[in-house]
Amino acid sequence: MSIELPVRDTSAQRDGAPGFVLSRLQDWSRDKSLWPVLFGLACCAIEMMAASASRFDIARFGSELFRPSPRQADLMIVAGRVSQKMAPVLREIYDQMPDPKWVVAMGDCASCGGVFNNYALVQGVDKIVPVDVYVPGCPPTPDALIDGILKLKERIGAGQARNV
Amino acid sequence: MNTAAERLQAAFAAVETGVSRDDIPYACVPVDQVVAALRLLRDELGYQRFVDLTAVDFPEREDRFELNYLVHSLTDNAWFRLKARTAGMAPSGVSVFPGLNFYEREVFDLFGVVFTDHPKLERIMLPDTWNGHPLRRDAPIVWEPVEFSKGRQEQYGD
Amino acid sequence: MATDTDTRPPTPERELLHINMGPQHPSTHGVLRLELDLDGEIVVTCQPVIGYLHTGIEKTFEAKTYLQGVTLTDRMDYLNPLGNNLAFALSVEKLFGCEIPPRATVARVLLAELTRIASHLVWLGTTALDLGASSVFLYCFREREQCLDLFEEMSGQRMMTSFIRPGGLAMDFPPGWEERAAKFLDIMPERIDEYESLLTNNPLFQERMVGIGRITAEQCLAWGVSGPILRATGVPFDIRKAKPYCGYETYDFEVPTGRNGDCYDRYLVRVAELRQSVRIARQALDRLPEGPVRTSDRKVMPPPREELAHSMEAVIHHFKLFTEGMRPPRGEAYVPVESPRGELGFYVVSDGSGRPVRVHERAPSFANVQALKVMAEGGMVADLIATISSVDPILGEVDR
Repeated sequence: MSIELPVRDTSAQRDGAPGFVLSRLQDWSRDKSLWPVLFGLACCAIEMMAASASRFDIARFGSELFRPSPRQADLMIVAGRVSQKMAPVLREIYDQMPDPKWVVAMGDCASCGGVFNNYALVQGVDKIVPVDVYVPGCPPTPDALIDGILKLKERIGAGQARNV
Repeated sequence: MNTAAERLQAAFAAVETGVSRDDIPYACVPVDQVVAALRLLRDELGYQRFVDLTAVDFPEREDRFELNYLVHSLTDNAWFRLKARTAGMAPSGVSVFPGLNFYEREVFDLFGVVFTDHPKLERIMLPDTWNGHPLRRDAPIVWEPVEFSKGRQEQYGD
Repeated sequence: MATDTDTRPPTPERELLHINMGPQHPSTHGVLRLELDLDGEIVVTCQPVIGYLHTGIEKTFEAKTYLQGVTLTDRMDYLNPLGNNLAFALSVEKLFGCEIPPRATVARVLLAELTRIASHLVWLGTTALDLGASSVFLYCFREREQCLDLFEEMSGQRMMTSFIRPGGLAMDFPPGWEERAAKFLDIMPERIDEYESLLTNNPLFQERMVGIGRITAEQCLAWGVSGPILRATGVPFDIRKAKPYCGYETYDFEVPTGRNGDCYDRYLVRVAELRQSVRIARQALDRLPEGPVRTSDRKVMPPPREELAHSMEAVIHHFKLFTEGMRPPRGEAYVPVESPRGELGFYVVSDGSGRPVRVHERAPSFANVQALKVMAEGGMVADLIATISSVDPILGEVDR
């Protein structure tokens, strides 16, 4: 005897007023507590650390904790250059993150390969994972990073999320 | 002029000596004598601190790779450069300076020089499945042309 | 160390736990991977695996002019960008044999020491954070922000300034910068006292750092380890004293050394170096003379813009420098400098054309990370974190 399991409704739009309120509540809570996974690779990681320090303080925007485990995070800030050896590792970490998840490509190297147009780097992390926001700079100042994250949060809060 | 270079000249055949632009003296020994030369530098001449190993590729020469070992003496406060030219093989100096381990792996990875008797000669910088040795002069840099998403006319209307 | 009093027979291989730490790990200070064989909690073998940040910078140098190459040097040891610029500039200037004006020489010392302060602040903050003292991290970054503000004011960039170039500096300091730098140096000594009051005599900190990650002086010499790790074993070797550059022999400072070669001594050495850096920077700021910041050798640095209006020769020099790039005479040069991590130098080989034949960075962290094997084996796995932080590796220069 087989049991019909209910199909999980993963569409962002729900029917009716209560569904609308629920999905707006979901978007609001995702927006207000975006937890990044620790993925600092190179120089941009230092500016990311400065963004989480007391002057720029990314915690007041909801990113209180940088989670070491990808299973507990919903935002991946790729901070730094992605080499050929690191690319499969990056993809594995991304795959382990549960939906909904977003990616911020921080810096020039993550956005497009940056200064290093050569054999060793993946020319832009969007060749491996889908990117939501590109933050230019080499390295971008912490305020530029926070600006990028705020833009992402606007889109999440408005329900224009990529996945789910 | 310089005792280290003279001692090496006396000990090994066909040694070319000189001083580089940075006032560091150098001596070029045949590549199969490199380990003995390093041992001489370390044990008898007091160059106990290992500093660096790198290679330079001169593809027009037959022995295209010029290995450069850099050692330092704390007692004399002097650096010394040991060179060796090879077409692709060299003995490993890990028994003299254990610090040479990673350096020889790097030269193997990026240039293709094989160090015999190395405990574990594997690629270090590039993935294990990589083909080629990028730092050779005839290896391409693999420069990717940059694609712009908008042409000039679209962006600026002229 | 656990194995000193351990009388059990050695564990057979099949009972060893082979575990992988990194490359994505909160405490590896970058993308460092360690392959560990554990016998319970004791590290039997520790093999660092690197290459996760390999950027092919040395190959990229060969396609760029020497001036463009300066921007690449910033990004290798990214906590010491001005120090990298300085090492590269010194090697290229050695090939040219050109004269650097005194204002530029003193300014280089000042900037190198400010960068050393900024780098050691990050080291201190991240070490404390790894061991659980997260407020020290916030205090250190508070001071670092002031230092980065100085860099941003003078060059427009917080970190990768590319300010020290072959031939001098990129430009002169803006008006008022020197007073602000003096103010920063004035507050630093009491801030360092604040960090020390939280950590140095803290029994928890000492418990986690004393006797951990030992290395002897002979091992350091054989493995090529330099910098604070070597000095913590008792060897008073500092390139600023051994082979002074930029006039370091005229500055009054001490070289702190340790005794035991463990993590705690490395901590003490680096904190003492912070104080000495403030001292040297203070002296440099006090004696900063007036004058040009660029060499007058027109084969290295372009002429000032005003000259272009009335001198054809200046126009030609400017044109050649920005199209072909500067062309050092044929030869090779390696000038070692003391970076916050050890002996740093750029081995530059030139064939007389505008692009180098080979630029190799002798990165101190490359040898230091190799020596992790010696420091970690025989210790506990929880002490590995303290050991890695005390080595202070920067993977950007390890992998280049």
